[in-house]
Amino acid sequence: MAFKLTEEFKTRAEKICAKYPRRDAALIPLLQEIQKETGYVAEEAMDALALLLELPYSRVKAVVTFYTMFNREPTGKYHLQVCRNISCHMAGAEGLLALLRAKLGLAEGGTTKDGLFTLSSVECLGACGSAPVMQVNDKYFEKLDEAKLSALLEDMRHGRLQH
Amino acid sequence: MPTITIDGKSVEVEKGTTLLAAAQKLGVYIPRYCYHPKLSVSGNCRMCLVEVEKAPKLVTACSTEAAEGMIVRTASDKVKAARRDVLEYLLINHPLDCPICDQAGECGLQDYYMEYSLARSRFKMADKARRQKRRAVGPHLVLDNERCILCTRCVRFCSEVTRTSELEVMERADHSYIDLKEGKALDNGYSLNIADNCPVGAFTSRDFRFKQRVWFLKKTPTVCLGCATGCLMEAHHNENTIYRLMPSPNAETNTWLCDHGRLTYKAVRAGDRLTKGVIKNGLIDLEPALREAGARIDEARGAVAVLGSPWLSVEDNAALARLAKDSVKTENYCFDFASEPGIKDGILINKDPAPNTSGTGLVKTAHGGLSLEELSRRIAAGQIKVVLAEARAAGLLKDTLKAAAPLLVIFAANKGEIPAGTYATLPYASYFETPGTFVNYQGLRRRTAPPVEAPEGVKPLWAVVNKLAAYSGASLQLDSAEDALKGIVFK
Repeated sequence: MAFKLTEEFKTRAEKICAKYPRRDAALIPLLQEIQKETGYVAEEAMDALALLLELPYSRVKAVVTFYTMFNREPTGKYHLQVCRNISCHMAGAEGLLALLRAKLGLAEGGTTKDGLFTLSSVECLGACGSAPVMQVNDKYFEKLDEAKLSALLEDMRHGRLQH
Repeated sequence: MPTITIDGKSVEVEKGTTLLAAAQKLGVYIPRYCYHPKLSVSGNCRMCLVEVEKAPKLVTACSTEAAEGMIVRTASDKVKAARRDVLEYLLINHPLDCPICDQAGECGLQDYYMEYSLARSRFKMADKARRQKRRAVGPHLVLDNERCILCTRCVRFCSEVTRTSELEVMERADHSYIDLKEGKALDNGYSLNIADNCPVGAFTSRDFRFKQRVWFLKKTPTVCLGCATGCLMEAHHNENTIYRLMPSPNAETNTWLCDHGRLTYKAVRAGDRLTKGVIKNGLIDLEPALREAGARIDEARGAVAVLGSPWLSVEDNAALARLAKDSVKTENYCFDFASEPGIKDGILINKDPAPNTSGTGLVKTAHGGLSLEELSRRIAAGQIKVVLAEARAAGLLKDTLKAAAPLLVIFAANKGEIPAGTYATLPYASYFETPGTFVNYQGLRRRTAPPVEAPEGVKPLWAVVNKLAAYSGASLQLDSAEDALKGIVFK
């Protein structure tokens, strides 16, 4: 599939570029824009962005692969990101992950067939005070336990989660 | 100008000099992987850690600038322990490929392990992380990610020297690996330098792979004849066969060597290498070939043209000039080759593809001769019956020769070089087999040294010319290449 940056995106990109002393500094903000629009950063998008910013393709790819928050494949409607670092781990993140794996029938990194959920474990989300934490798309859900998580999952299944 | 003390010896260095460079000046060697004198400093391998008095931690010698009064220790217990630790760290996941690895014998990991570590691994073989094994990346290189220590010399070479930026470190932390765009080839004209730069066996040369163990190789310093730049290089050879060409870094011309130059040795052992003379299309021993060519030249005499060549050494060109002037006694000879020299790509490759255009100029100064246009005009006008020329130089007059069709007597080292319609071809020794003087585009005089011997019966061009003279006119009595140089003045 040939990927093309829309004219609208290009205009927006120019505005973002103008904020920085060098064009290539806008790489990460623009990658975030692309991810916001399409949910992930496709190989073709990296190519297009490299051309737009006059960067070598390998540089763009290196940045995308360095930052784990850039998805390189399409995700489900809800991207469940469970923190697995020490505070959350001690507060029971391992159990939450196991519950999600069992309920969704997924391994980490997988997406359900209905395209609703993608499950990931991630590094520290910076909310250790309210561990265990799960991020769903842009939203944090804190001080989780198995009951809360099950209810949350039901809400998402029935589209009752506001986001 | 700060003065610092390294291992008890004090040295005064320019402001901005790094500790590593200062130590080098004193003859103190500091081990390094990621540091390369011609690339930017990265400081990621940690192998060059040294102790600086009053500094809280060890510092990297490659990235720390010398400051007044610094007292540096490069062999203290702390430094030795750090080196051991860095090596242990780098070797945790390094595969035990040495018996099948081309880098063995010139490998940074092997050398430093023997020098600074000698510790047994505390990790089980089975626990080593696996990475992608060998795969071809481009026409000249093989990449083995498992052997890589991520020093990023290759990444910096591609972004700073060739400015093509094919390579990058992908992923992060313990998942990192070197990669390029999927489906893209690493072919930037200088890619084999990456194999040299790689301190381990991650990047190896496809051409050299598995051909020879490096400890068997003998090294002969010589000159690259791939273009007018005249880079200094080393021919690595064993048992009369050249296996690879490596750059000899020097201030005048080159740090690196281009892929084209590196593969010039291939012609020496190519399948079409000429070891005998050729008359029309039939192979014939050198002696009868010389007699035949000599007789044709003798018949024509005043209507013979001798063309020098910017691909031949000064000696061989001078011998050709002597042949024309003193033996055949024709005035139709030419050592006039114009070129517009200069570095074409900003790195090494010259606009002038011939290595000795400046050298032919010296022969012209000493012996005179026609301009190339005048010779071409005379050939076109039918005044010339026989043309004696080196194959690639004859290519410069291709169209004229084709139209006027004089009898062609050609010097060629490989059959593939012989122009169509050649009457007689005489073989000669390549400059990997005989010494020769060349003058590069800057006017630097450089001499090739022969790493291998010529095939049996193949002689240097000046010696072939000497024999030809006996058949075609007065004898020249050249006993050595130097005899031919009489009258030539080097600047």
